[in-house]
Amino acid sequence: MGNMPFVVSMILVGLGFLALITRRNLIKLTIGISVIEMGVNLFLVSLGYVKGGIAPIYTYAPPGFKEMVFPTPQALTLTAIVIGLATTALMLAFAVVIYRHRGTLDAGKIRELKG
Amino acid sequence: MVHAPVLAIAVPLLGAFALPLLARLNRRARDLWAAGIAVATLVFGIAVAVQVFASGRPLVYTLGAPSPTASVTEGGFPIRIVLVVDALGAYMGIIALLAGAVGLFYSFQYLVEEEGKTLGTSLLLLLWAGILGLVYTGDLFNFFVFLEITSIAACALIGYRVWEPRPPEAAFKTMVMYTLGGLLVLVSVGILYGEYDALNIAYLSKLITGTLLDKLALGLLLGGLLMKAGAVPAHMWAPDAYGEAPAMAAIVLVANTQAAIYALLRVVFTLFGGALASPGIGWLIASLGTVTVLVAVLMAVVQRHLGRLVAYGAVSQLGYMLLAVGVGVVAAGKGFGEVALKGGIFHMINDLASVGLLFLVVGAIRRAVGSVDLLSLGGLGHTLRWESGFFLLGALALAGIPPLNGFASKFLIYESTFKASPILAAVAVLSSILLLGVGVRAFHGIFLGPKTRDVASSPRGMLVAMGVLAVIIVVFGLFPGFFIERMVSPAVQAILGGRASYLAAVLGG
Amino acid sequence: MRIGSGEGFWSPIVWVILALGVLAIGFAVWLQGRRTYKRGTEQEEPFLSGERLPEGAGVGATHLYWGFAEALKPLLVRLGAFHSGFLGDYVGWLLVLLVISILVVMLG
Repeated sequence: MGNMPFVVSMILVGLGFLALITRRNLIKLTIGISVIEMGVNLFLVSLGYVKGGIAPIYTYAPPGFKEMVFPTPQALTLTAIVIGLATTALMLAFAVVIYRHRGTLDAGKIRELKG
Repeated sequence: MVHAPVLAIAVPLLGAFALPLLARLNRRARDLWAAGIAVATLVFGIAVAVQVFASGRPLVYTLGAPSPTASVTEGGFPIRIVLVVDALGAYMGIIALLAGAVGLFYSFQYLVEEEGKTLGTSLLLLLWAGILGLVYTGDLFNFFVFLEITSIAACALIGYRVWEPRPPEAAFKTMVMYTLGGLLVLVSVGILYGEYDALNIAYLSKLITGTLLDKLALGLLLGGLLMKAGAVPAHMWAPDAYGEAPAMAAIVLVANTQAAIYALLRVVFTLFGGALASPGIGWLIASLGTVTVLVAVLMAVVQRHLGRLVAYGAVSQLGYMLLAVGVGVVAAGKGFGEVALKGGIFHMINDLASVGLLFLVVGAIRRAVGSVDLLSLGGLGHTLRWESGFFLLGALALAGIPPLNGFASKFLIYESTFKASPILAAVAVLSSILLLGVGVRAFHGIFLGPKTRDVASSPRGMLVAMGVLAVIIVVFGLFPGFFIERMVSPAVQAILGGRASYLAAVLGG
Repeated sequence: MRIGSGEGFWSPIVWVILALGVLAIGFAVWLQGRRTYKRGTEQEEPFLSGERLPEGAGVGATHLYWGFAEALKPLLVRLGAFHSGFLGDYVGWLLVLLVISILVVMLG
């Protein structure tokens, strides 16, 4: 069961890509991107998980602790979440603008830039 | 100037976020602030480059350490974030500095106050900081962060003209692609971290042995970076983005895309240089580069939209660089591999000058006429004299006509590629000829013919920005040896033989 | 100021000198021409196949390279369809590129 988080995170990434390829609604595409982001974040968090490990704060450490968790993956994940928020916000903003211009959110119809 | 590397990133970052605040107070203060930030960034960036080229050793700057040189802790473990600038990084930094400075100077009179000049300038500074960080960082996770900073700033700039229907569409598409590319890089960073508990590029490079997971990480990095470099078949965002972005953003976007090629070199030669730089990867990059050149040039032939036409030209030039990088990987250690890398790296700055000049001229035409449809333009040469000269110069340099700078670098690429594979070289030469056709057609369509309308010439500031690039085109064309000896050759040496000194500079010993 | 590639070399200064020489020869040939051309007379009028041009006629940008685009039409049409502008295709091709690069790294 040790690899279960990795499998789940990769399933999330796969689902996100599936959404990006098969869906046409710009909002759903944004959700697809978010799902991939969540999969990657889950991957990072599960990389840093140590069974029985405690938070790396020496002053609060109980006397007989075995392992501490290296805090880097959590820091990476937090950063990645913030970045993901920014990208999602920007994409949704552009989706709103596109809807105002075209009156549709269908990516199949928003194809003026082709050829 | 010990702190120059971090200041070159921090100053434009601060400048970008303080700019909107200053604009609330006073527009004049905002303009002075932007100019001051630009000058300071240039000074720090050039100081970094001078230090690196003068000493011949990579410059290491450690953040959060007692002294900037203490890159490892007592146990010899590099846990701190480092900035590492070797000759290649310094060279790429100069390209980024040039693009940002010219773009900012141009934007001063190009952007209209009512259309959001403040935010446009602010985003441009943010993109500038992102590219410089991407180039200077010696830490894989920071690499991802700066990649995302450039993505967000670039996409916001592409969609700058929100009142038109096309730019938001381009911005959305580019955003999806950039975000996916960034996430591929992040997964790869995660894999490497999980395997080796390290994020420092030099330290990782020492540890990487070439396991299955390493290969997976390299594959993901290659996929993400090739997309960002605009390689076929994932190049489709590039013409959208370049074609719709405002001119001053397009030139910085070109530098941003070249930074992806820089990252490709860094990943293949430094990060995985010890274990995994196989000829197969080289052939992959070279053949994708050739296909990119051919597809982009053929698409440029049929374009009506002037921005898209130049954009496809820009994509084709990126193909040349990929081709050179690929041949350099294939023939690493042989004489012509070095020549190929020289050509490819020299082509970066030449491409920035010629493609950037074309984008700036297209922006000037758009500003003067309000249209960039090739079929509705014509006869502009009667009034836009300087612009027509600059466009012709840029188009000729883009096609690699001697004695302009494009030829000097393409000459090196052709000669070396021919030794690796005559077919790839033939396709590259043929595409260059087609590119000349594209340039002539566009020039003829825009500037020649009877005078059809009265337009005002561009403001002097915009002309000066174009003039700087034009001077670079001519000077680098006439005296390529001077530049190659002083900057390109050290950069090539930093790739081919510099991995040991890169590692030693960060890890000590 | 020459750059070598191992095989050949490129020297812009030599090229410029040669180009000036060729231009000088061209100028000398031009000087041999007839001197009956006068500006501002009907000699400046453009003709097309012996006919006076109708108002507004001219060779546009699309007419240059027309034959070229026509000959490559099958390829260009296919390439145009390839650049469909549909976001799903963009992502699909990115996946193709990703799979190719991972395969190459794994096998190469």
